[in-house]
Amino acid sequence: MGHEKTNSGESLTRLIVQSYMEAFNLWKEGAFVVWGAIVVPAEIFRGFDNVVYCCPESHAAMCAAKGAGPDLSQIAEALGYSLDLCSYPRIDIGCVSGGRKLSPTSGLPKPNLLVSDNNNCSLLVKWFDVHHRNMNVPHFIIDVPFCYEPQAEKDLDYILTQFNDLISTVERLSGQTFDINKFYDASMQTARALFEWKRFLECAKHRPSGLTVFDSFVQMAPLFTSRGRTELVEHYKLLADETEERVNNGVFPVPNEKYRLLWDNIAPWHRLHKMDMHLRELDANIVAAPYTSCIGGLEGSFELFELALGKDPLWYMARTQNMSVCPYGLDLRFDAMSWAIEQIGIDGIIFASNRSCKVFSVMQMDLQKRISEKYKIPTVMIEIDHADPRKFSDESANMRLDALVENIASVRSSV
Amino acid sequence: MKPLDSVKSLRECGKPVVGCFPPYPPLELLHSMGLTPFVLWGLRGEVADAERHIQNYACSVARRLAQFVMSDANGLLDGLLFYNACDTLRNLPEILREGLAESGAVAPPMFRIHVPMVPTEQTDSSGYLRNEFESLIGSLEAHFGVRFSEEKFAASVALYTNMRDLCLQLEEDVSQGTMTFTDFSENLMSANFLPVENQVELLESKIAGSGPSLDSESPRGRVIASGILAPPNSISRLIDDAGFRVVGNDIAALHRSYAYAPETWSDVYDYYAHVYGNHFPCTTLLYTADKRVEQIMKMVSGRRADGFLFVGEKFCEYEYLELPYLEKQLKELGTSVLAIEISIGDDTAVETYRTRIEAWAEMLEAAQATTSPRVGQGGK
Repeated sequence: MGHEKTNSGESLTRLIVQSYMEAFNLWKEGAFVVWGAIVVPAEIFRGFDNVVYCCPESHAAMCAAKGAGPDLSQIAEALGYSLDLCSYPRIDIGCVSGGRKLSPTSGLPKPNLLVSDNNNCSLLVKWFDVHHRNMNVPHFIIDVPFCYEPQAEKDLDYILTQFNDLISTVERLSGQTFDINKFYDASMQTARALFEWKRFLECAKHRPSGLTVFDSFVQMAPLFTSRGRTELVEHYKLLADETEERVNNGVFPVPNEKYRLLWDNIAPWHRLHKMDMHLRELDANIVAAPYTSCIGGLEGSFELFELALGKDPLWYMARTQNMSVCPYGLDLRFDAMSWAIEQIGIDGIIFASNRSCKVFSVMQMDLQKRISEKYKIPTVMIEIDHADPRKFSDESANMRLDALVENIASVRSSV
Repeated sequence: MKPLDSVKSLRECGKPVVGCFPPYPPLELLHSMGLTPFVLWGLRGEVADAERHIQNYACSVARRLAQFVMSDANGLLDGLLFYNACDTLRNLPEILREGLAESGAVAPPMFRIHVPMVPTEQTDSSGYLRNEFESLIGSLEAHFGVRFSEEKFAASVALYTNMRDLCLQLEEDVSQGTMTFTDFSENLMSANFLPVENQVELLESKIAGSGPSLDSESPRGRVIASGILAPPNSISRLIDDAGFRVVGNDIAALHRSYAYAPETWSDVYDYYAHVYGNHFPCTTLLYTADKRVEQIMKMVSGRRADGFLFVGEKFCEYEYLELPYLEKQLKELGTSVLAIEISIGDDTAVETYRTRIEAWAEMLEAAQATTSPRVGQGGK
């Protein structure tokens, strides 16, 4: 947070470095490597003795944040992948197609199994198909029905069936046996970590906020590299404790916070610092985003959906498959955003229309209209690409952010 | 006839008209229940009203569909049916509702199913699909006051199977050079807006009207056309005028839609298990990905195609993520590939494509000249 490296910031770096190094080391020693989409329940893989889990989306985001996005994308584009495609697969395909040295982690260890799901987007399935063909690696698809209302029981059962098939598939391909107790233990670790994660996000309710959304964007990473591990719990406990302590001590990232904003879309990974600095100059703070707050909830809800004692963790994993930002409809998104506005206290909303994430962005125009009508708060739509700075203009975005802040000030002065 | 006029005509049949989201809705089922279904694609025109609801980086299929439902056909549809065809389309139902509400209209009742997207060798989803169809049938019965019967369903399946067979025959006519690709695709796209009985009549009349080969000479290239929609007429005409013969197609609105019909099935659930399970591969049917390249290679070699023309639907990530691999495989087979991209308004910007298509024809022609004439062809 702020400019100085906090203990949780140092812990984050350690945890990420450790998880990537461990993945490579175990791979070298013969571990079975799974590449999975972010919402795939990695806890299942912790139920095996020697299975390593890696997340290409998270790795692509890290490459983008470290400035490697355009170079890696261009490798994929030279192979024929359209510039109109999401920048995550372009980065990832570029990485495995000769661009490893451009990645901060030298890419990911070679997979033995690919596990995609279509709950965030079906594009993930197509993306993993590229690797499936090029690397000749099996591809398991988790099919998650889209929700217009809270997830239906029939859909939950269907997802559960697929999880059981996934377990059998890993057993068959890896020659290892699934240990349900290990899986239960990993699920409990994730549940504890999510509790701490929500405790950290709760600090946004304070005025001024105890965090900026940029902190939460960066701090998401271990959720995709270290799920199911005690290190994850320890890290998020440290993060939540430290953030609460700073709030109690009157230390805030934007001390003169006048404008509390909400960000609607994936993080603009290549602009985190620049955008954060620009907003601080305006005494504005993006305090929350569905992108980070949905984790641990149901169908976009900001509230924690706890793994209750005695409940089957596999059931819990299936029930939370529609939690992330895309696999549910406009009404549910409206409900989640309304909760944030009312509970966190939001003065204005930035709808980031993201060319790289059509599935998240298509419906923002109506969401914006409904929110504006109900809450009468200023909103703005800016054009972004979450990982390709070539499709982003600082000038255009800043102009609109400035206008949003002026609009909020104007509304206040007229009241 | 324009799609809007066609839908007005559909209403004159007196049966409820149901607009179905593309590409592969269960048309036979709706027809058997006394409804008139059509697929909401092949729509033309500007998307002025939809611009307020959908960003311009969504594909033209979604944007035109939105425009049609929200504005052009407002009040003409008795129902909408959709399934999880693609990420953009799955977001549309509530957007359509909002758009209609903006003009004071109420959205027509919406019906939906989730078609399992898992390979059968991975997960047995037959029970789930059965449940989806049971729910759909129940919803249609309750809303329209109709009853499902297996007998009527079988009769509808027979009609649709006949229609699809006729499409395959016409495709063969195009392959033999007795019909232009422009006429073929124009007729099939407009047939979509007719009741299936009239589609059959139209297709039969076209087959009966097919004459001898239109080509006085051998084609400059035998090509497979691929994409989501049939190319706009202006582009199809360029393909014909350049001297190509379209010997087959891998177009979602054409071959991918009519290529397969189950020969045997026990009931409606079994029928749709076959339909979706054995469907001609499509980029949007996620579980068919492994079979797609194989099927296309088979088509290319079986129809002795020299070239593969990809007419890409701009912003369709399903198509564009598969293209590089497919292109590589085709080139290894010695098949030339030309990729062009279409979107809204491209039927008025034909000249952009003319040079590329003509240059490709010259290239294929030159390549042919360096190889032996095919059996049954004089060469050129």
